[in-house]
Amino acid sequence: MDQNIDMDAVAARRRALAEALQKGEPVVVTASGEVEKKEEADDQGMSGIMVPNGKLA
Amino acid sequence: MAYYWYQSDPQLYQMEVAAMQKFFPSFTISQLQDGSGRLYWRGKVQPAGQGGMVWDLMLIYKNSHPHAGQNEYGGSVQILPLSPRLKDIADKMMPLIMQTYGDYDNVVQHGFGLGLPHIYRDQFGRNEEYFICSADPKYFKTGQNHSTSAASALSWACKWIILCEMWLNGEISDDVAMEGNY
Repeated sequence: MDQNIDMDAVAARRRALAEALQKGEPVVVTASGEVEKKEEADDQGMSGIMVPNGKLA
Repeated sequence: MAYYWYQSDPQLYQMEVAAMQKFFPSFTISQLQDGSGRLYWRGKVQPAGQGGMVWDLMLIYKNSHPHAGQNEYGGSVQILPLSPRLKDIADKMMPLIMQTYGDYDNVVQHGFGLGLPHIYRDQFGRNEEYFICSADPKYFKTGQNHSTSAASALSWACKWIILCEMWLNGEISDDVAMEGNY
């Protein structure tokens, strides 16, 4: 594992994603499987599949 | 005689392959060597990005694809994590869950009967394995003109994984993990 990873940044990113998911904001999944808020992915020019609507079973 | 969905509907097969190659090009397709004829995709994802866990997944088509019965969680694309193995994580979590809810009946009532939120068990080869409940079957599209692909199922699974990691890290509560609006 890369020891230089900023775990605080990783946790902060996860918190933002958790909030977005709870609010039902659109998210995309990139080719590596990374889940991103759609607006952030757009800002960064990242493409990915939009997660379809659907509640986890 | 065409027996499997990918023989009887080659166009659907081509669309499935095209969608996976477009969105998840590192995944490869093969056929299970168990005589069932089922096709599966295998590859790795890292839903939390850098610093998150790497998950080695199999996406296994049921031969009924595209189909979603009332209790067919995730429809006809089953998501089986090979690493980490859900059963191993669930076994580690169960003592903590029992501590929280007191007895097994209460654990089941809160939806954690298998030790993790939103999973189901099924036979896979000789073993019973735990699979990701990627979506309520009512969201799995099975129409002739529009059906849910393995690529869409994988995107649901990545969302499940990140929520599961958050729950394992204590970043979201049991209630949110079970009943959150996603």
